[in-house]
Amino acid sequence: MTDTDRAAVRTNGIWKIFQQEAEEIVAVRDVSLTIERGEFTALAGPSGSGKTTLLNVIGGLTRPTRGRAWVAGREVSEMSNQELARLRLNEVGFVFQAYNLLPVLTAMENAEFPMLLQGVGSSQRHERIRELFERTGMAGLEDRRPGKLSGGQQQRVAVIRAVASRPALVLADEPTANLDTASSEALLDVMLELNQELGVTFVFATHDEQVMEWSRRLVRMVDGAIDSDVTRS
Amino acid sequence: MRPRSQSMHLAVILVLALRNLRRQLRRSILTASAMIIGGWLLLFSFSLGDGTHETWIDSGVRMSGGHITVERPEFRVSRKIEDRLPTDVRSKTEQALKSPEIAAQVVAVSARLTINGLASSHAGARPAQVIAVDPIAEAAFSMLDDQVVEGRYLEPDDRLAAYVGLGLVQSLDLRLGSRFVVQAQDTAQDISGQLFRVVGIFRSGIPAADQSVIHIPLQTGGDWLGSDRDVTNVGVVLADSATVAAVTTYLERVLTEPIARGDAAVMGWRESNPALYAAVVIDNFGNYLLYAILFTIIAFGIVNTVLMSVLHRHREFGVLQALGLTPGQTGAIVLVEGLTLTAISGLIGVSLGLLTTWYFFGDGLDFSALIGEDMTFSGVVIDPVIVPLFRVSRLIQILAFILFVGVVASIYPARRAATIDTAEAMKFER
Repeated sequence: MTDTDRAAVRTNGIWKIFQQEAEEIVAVRDVSLTIERGEFTALAGPSGSGKTTLLNVIGGLTRPTRGRAWVAGREVSEMSNQELARLRLNEVGFVFQAYNLLPVLTAMENAEFPMLLQGVGSSQRHERIRELFERTGMAGLEDRRPGKLSGGQQQRVAVIRAVASRPALVLADEPTANLDTASSEALLDVMLELNQELGVTFVFATHDEQVMEWSRRLVRMVDGAIDSDVTRS
Repeated sequence: MRPRSQSMHLAVILVLALRNLRRQLRRSILTASAMIIGGWLLLFSFSLGDGTHETWIDSGVRMSGGHITVERPEFRVSRKIEDRLPTDVRSKTEQALKSPEIAAQVVAVSARLTINGLASSHAGARPAQVIAVDPIAEAAFSMLDDQVVEGRYLEPDDRLAAYVGLGLVQSLDLRLGSRFVVQAQDTAQDISGQLFRVVGIFRSGIPAADQSVIHIPLQTGGDWLGSDRDVTNVGVVLADSATVAAVTTYLERVLTEPIARGDAAVMGWRESNPALYAAVVIDNFGNYLLYAILFTIIAFGIVNTVLMSVLHRHREFGVLQALGLTPGQTGAIVLVEGLTLTAISGLIGVSLGLLTTWYFFGDGLDFSALIGEDMTFSGVVIDPVIVPLFRVSRLIQILAFILFVGVVASIYPARRAATIDTAEAMKFER
């Protein structure tokens, strides 16, 4: 097995340049990074430092201008739209700053959505979701619509949705930005527990000091490039 | 993709589409209302239009040669007695019309000897169209027997009786019981005269008919002109003009030999009454045009509503794609929403149209205050009471049209949803 196959994420010389009228904006600048399976990593940096764009490239939501990226051993930079959709469905879970639950579905339906698309049977789906709802303190709220849940509860549903389909990787973009300190801490606790017990790889884009403190590896980005990469013991 | 996963995707697309319609209930109801009114109007007005046309056609064909007429090809232009139908062709035609394959469609059959002649009295002479008929058969075929203003229609025992149009009666200064002479070319190509007595006077409302038509007994006509039992044409009235093509095809099959010999031609009312056909086509075209405009406006309404809904849910579509839906599946959600909305509202509209059609089915709608009672064109008296006509084929056409509008109106919004930039959509703030 090569390093690329073993790693959850590997990027090699990734550039992402946006064209804004006549001006070129470099969002990600020559980023080479390897994230091993089971890591709990934060990409930190000020607004505009390129962390969300890098997360989007890794998750196959946007294509790099130059460079290559692999997720769970599969190269994403060359994939078709269909292949990218399949990769996102089977290998990547997303947690967004604005929760982004589907308002027409209940908490349970939101959480099982990727598994539905994967074709997982209903008993298996419900078993997994109920266990995760129990584990995250969400039991009893399964039938509520997102509008009837607090921000912290919605984000926990989003985390359950991201991990329930057993992806190789969960990408979380500012997951605590809309939460108060207590809710942030509870959410991080849940994610760390899932990371430790289920071995799910988490990569955060954040400028929240609390998230950075909880992360075992901290990659700082400035102007689209990696400024520092520190792993704590 | 695994079959199970594929069916799950379909189920997810359906659930999301239906719930989104429910979520935007007010918007959905407003859009549906336009479609419901459109479907309602479309069905009811086409039923009314079809009913009007059927009345025109029925009136027109009964005043002329029927929905279908069998005659020699030359007779249409020459109107001469030598271009009459051979007796065997007449018998074959009458026999065929009794066949179980088409008998249910046949309402009336009349064999006629139609010739042009000159009617004379002490007041002068006038050109006349003499139609020698079997009184019983003709009474079922034509409407003239009901339009008596004085006297009576012909009876089976009549010999020298004539049923004459009011205009001709006035021109010749005739009255009930008056005698007059009609001269016409007989089968020996000589001019032959016959004395008749007025037993009835009619007023059809069609000036050309009232000023020239004379009905006489078929037996008298045959004796007078030497044509014996021969007739110039056999007219057929059908229950529904929509069956003309089928009955014509059947008769053409039965009469293959005489047709090949040039002894007979089977003509539908469209050929025998082109002016009436043109009027129906033009009226239909007007209706189609009007409804094309109406539904274009409704389609724009649907595009606007569905597109607004797509733009409003930009981020949501981004999330769906981030979670693993393909662009095509994302577009399919919008397409299913548009189709569901149009299908449901179309069905409601069409049902309302059916109910309205059914309500007016008995007595019809009386437009006499608007168009009066004496309007005619192309040998057709326009009945001011219009009875809507329901046809299953029209219902299918309308439902297909509504669905077509739904698909067309949803394609652009679906394309927009399918082609969003996922990463950009995630940034999208409402």
